[in-house]
Amino acid sequence: MLGSDLRVRLRSLFRRQSVEVELDEELRFHVERQVELYVARGVPPEEARRRARLEFGGTEQVKEVCREARGISGLETLMQDLRYGGRVLRRNPGFTAVAILSLALGVGANTVVFSVANAVMLQPMPIEHPEQVYSVSSHQYPTLSFPYYRDLRDRATLAAGMAAYRMAPMALDTGTTTSAGAQRVWGYLATGSYFDLLGVRPALGRFFHSADDRKVSAEPWAVLSYNTWQARFGGDPGVLGRVIRINTRPFTVIGVAPDGFRGTELFYQPEIWVPMMMQPEIEGSSWLEKRGDANAFVLARLKQNVTRAAALEELRSIAAAMEREHPEENHGWTVKLSRPGLVADMGRGPVEAFVLGILGLAGLVLLAACANLGTLLGARASDRGREIAIRLSIGAGKFRIVRQLLTESLLLSLAGGAAGCGLALVLMRLITEMRLNSDFPIQMEIAPDWRVFLFALLVSTATGLLFGLVPARSVWKADANQALRGALPGEGSRRGLPLREVLLVVQVALCCVLVTASFVSLRGMATMLSARMGIDPDRVAVVGIDLTQARYSKEDGRQFLRRALDRIAQVPGVTLAAWGNSVPLSMDQSNTNVFRDGSTDFRNSNSIHTSYFDVSPGYFATIGTRLLAGRDFNWHDDANGPRVAIVNQTLARKLTGTANAVGRRFLQSRDQPVEIIGVVEDGKYETLTEKPRAAVFRPAWRSYTPGAMFVARCSSPESIAPLLRREIAQLDPQLAVFGNGSLRQLTSTVFFPGRAATFALGSFGVLAMMLALTGIYGLASYTVSRRIREIGIRIAVGARPVEVLGFALRRTSLLVSMGCLGGLGAGVAVGRVLESVVYGANARDPWVLAGVTTTMLAIALLAGAAPARRALAVDPVDALRHD
Amino acid sequence: MLESSLDLPQGTLDLLILKTLALGPQHGWAISQRIQQVSSDALQAQQGSLYPALHRLERKGWIKSKWGASENNRKARFYELTAAGRKQLAVETENWRRLVAAVGQVLDFA
Repeated sequence: MLGSDLRVRLRSLFRRQSVEVELDEELRFHVERQVELYVARGVPPEEARRRARLEFGGTEQVKEVCREARGISGLETLMQDLRYGGRVLRRNPGFTAVAILSLALGVGANTVVFSVANAVMLQPMPIEHPEQVYSVSSHQYPTLSFPYYRDLRDRATLAAGMAAYRMAPMALDTGTTTSAGAQRVWGYLATGSYFDLLGVRPALGRFFHSADDRKVSAEPWAVLSYNTWQARFGGDPGVLGRVIRINTRPFTVIGVAPDGFRGTELFYQPEIWVPMMMQPEIEGSSWLEKRGDANAFVLARLKQNVTRAAALEELRSIAAAMEREHPEENHGWTVKLSRPGLVADMGRGPVEAFVLGILGLAGLVLLAACANLGTLLGARASDRGREIAIRLSIGAGKFRIVRQLLTESLLLSLAGGAAGCGLALVLMRLITEMRLNSDFPIQMEIAPDWRVFLFALLVSTATGLLFGLVPARSVWKADANQALRGALPGEGSRRGLPLREVLLVVQVALCCVLVTASFVSLRGMATMLSARMGIDPDRVAVVGIDLTQARYSKEDGRQFLRRALDRIAQVPGVTLAAWGNSVPLSMDQSNTNVFRDGSTDFRNSNSIHTSYFDVSPGYFATIGTRLLAGRDFNWHDDANGPRVAIVNQTLARKLTGTANAVGRRFLQSRDQPVEIIGVVEDGKYETLTEKPRAAVFRPAWRSYTPGAMFVARCSSPESIAPLLRREIAQLDPQLAVFGNGSLRQLTSTVFFPGRAATFALGSFGVLAMMLALTGIYGLASYTVSRRIREIGIRIAVGARPVEVLGFALRRTSLLVSMGCLGGLGAGVAVGRVLESVVYGANARDPWVLAGVTTTMLAIALLAGAAPARRALAVDPVDALRHD
Repeated sequence: MLESSLDLPQGTLDLLILKTLALGPQHGWAISQRIQQVSSDALQAQQGSLYPALHRLERKGWIKSKWGASENNRKARFYELTAAGRKQLAVETENWRRLVAAVGQVLDFA
């Protein structure tokens, strides 16, 4: 029964035309037969027809009853509402376009941000039972040492398994005919337990297991990532068993990881996995037995039904035991568990703060869009007062009208939402494809999943209901009589502020907040870009090489570095050249611990944690760091002479208590005294917002730095950089280089958070401005049109233009000012939050305040220009006839 | 409702239609003629109530309609009883007879 009921109802819904026609025919048939009957009985045809029709009654009424019998349901009224709403929207194409656009922007922005939040915080990793897998790290660093990991693994009973890994660059030579020698790629060193712990299945071949990870430097297996298999090997299934060269050593490809598996770090796209036992081959020197060197990231999978708290307890007690057993290396090492994926939680704090911040912003923008639309729709609802009044007076229920208005709003918002979703998808694709211009492959894959679409749908619907309530409210309170006379409630009511006006204030305030925040961060960016970093990034070209990857011997390597330096120094345009194992603010930073002269306690807690750089002579002058006291290194500071070092001011003070530390000593370790021969200015080494850090510079010529970054001082780094690469290639065409470009490019990663924040804020600021513009314009022009009559009267009795404008737009201006003041206040508060993200952001900066005031003034003037002109151009005679 | 000299309770028309269709599919006019004939002109199903009733019954799923050719080869909509309708006819017939019996008892009593 239900089936046929539904069928009939649906039929009457979708095939209205034919149903009407059929009904017509059926009734006509009946009348005709009746007529025939009468004629057969001898009645004349005319008379017969008359009688038959009379008997039948009103055909239309019958049809109506039949229609009712067939069932006009809620579905039918919904279709009616939708059709009507569509007509209304089509009649005002301008408004509809603007509304859909602002909704699309608002919803689109929210969807994109939500999908980022989803990828970062909600989406689980594509591994088996991800909720059981944790990152194990110490409180200070995200890494532990390899012997430490082994002990944890052996002693932890509550963990079903543990694994260690490290992200490492390697020189890959695929050996195919199309490869151009060795290329620098990034991959993972992973213990044999890694893949088993994660529970992934290979797309091709197999993974290496614990049995394949036993002998140091003797486990030459490689697992390719899916993308690498496709890109570098053409997706050839015959890749299994192929021998490739990594750092010139032969490795055998044994498998391919599944599509979509990118290891255990969210922002990192590796190309290859090799067993942890191959670490010395990959990095040149081994730390596998160094208990004090925290170089390995550790994962643990908890056993079923083991709580995180219980596992943490156990790990902590093991850590305490190890602290007792190895007081020097492991003193002060405590462990913590965190969700893997963001460098063992180190990145989680800032990333989450950023994402939540942006989510909040996007929400604000959407709110502003709603306020905007609410205002405009509310204004229009008043204009449709007459239409609504008529409907009320012929008996339409208030509920029915309200429902129709809400349907209109929902139609608008769902259309805007769909457009926004499309926009968001495009943006998400762009973000996925965006790669930061750095050596380390930072890439985030944002794929939309069902949560994102659901979110977009919910947001659109909520938005539609929210701003649909404004006109609905005014209708609900309407009285038909009043409405016919042209005034819906909220019109002349002097009790407090009408909703429409409140919304405008809110909207202007929101816009002001966003504009303030944008200016704050812009100012911060400007400060950041001109901050003293201790280096001169715009006048230095760089090129990096890694000789371990090419398996140079120590002596050959040193000679190579010298020769390369000579060649680079002779490139036309280069004034100074040098090398270092790394440069400040690049991704590759190294740290060590040193001790004050006369220390007897060599535990880590008593050491001074410092960044270190192994540099060649001439480094400081090349890179732009000022030497404040003492001398630079020279080529005689080698292994034959005493240990010397140059320190920065911060380290000098920490070691000796004074910045003038030339000639003083410190201890590299228990029996390694070092003499300070120079002091350089402080700089930034890891991030731009760090507090002053200690840094020590050691002579590269004393030891051997197979990983070297050549720096060359010149006036236009971008054009010199390729020449540097050419020099290296001429010395060794097979050597893979990286980081070739200007120093500014190499260090661009540290600017990324500030840039991202500024970009986001700027975009939202622009959105908010557009919304405020349309909102103010809408309200101003509405106010003017409502008061045309009064304006006409005033002009007729001789008011001056200023007075007319004052009358027409006084209230609007007042509202806008209120919004601005409120927004400015809130914006200053928000600016405080920004200060931690964007270096140098200061909310109370006069430039910021001036900028915001000017912008808001400009917006108000622009928005009010057209209505003002209209007010002035009112013709008194026409106005008096106006309604 | 039926327009006649007799005042009939609600839903009776439905019962009559169902019964008429029990004999075979017919179009609306034929049904009204049938009812008139069989009741010896006592009951006349007016078009104003017949067709709404037919559409209502169709919605309830007790009859179904199909377009076909009438006796004189004109297009007409034929109704026929469904299985559910047949059951409903039995139920309603039973109800009617019980109603009539009950009323009759009361009338005979006094």
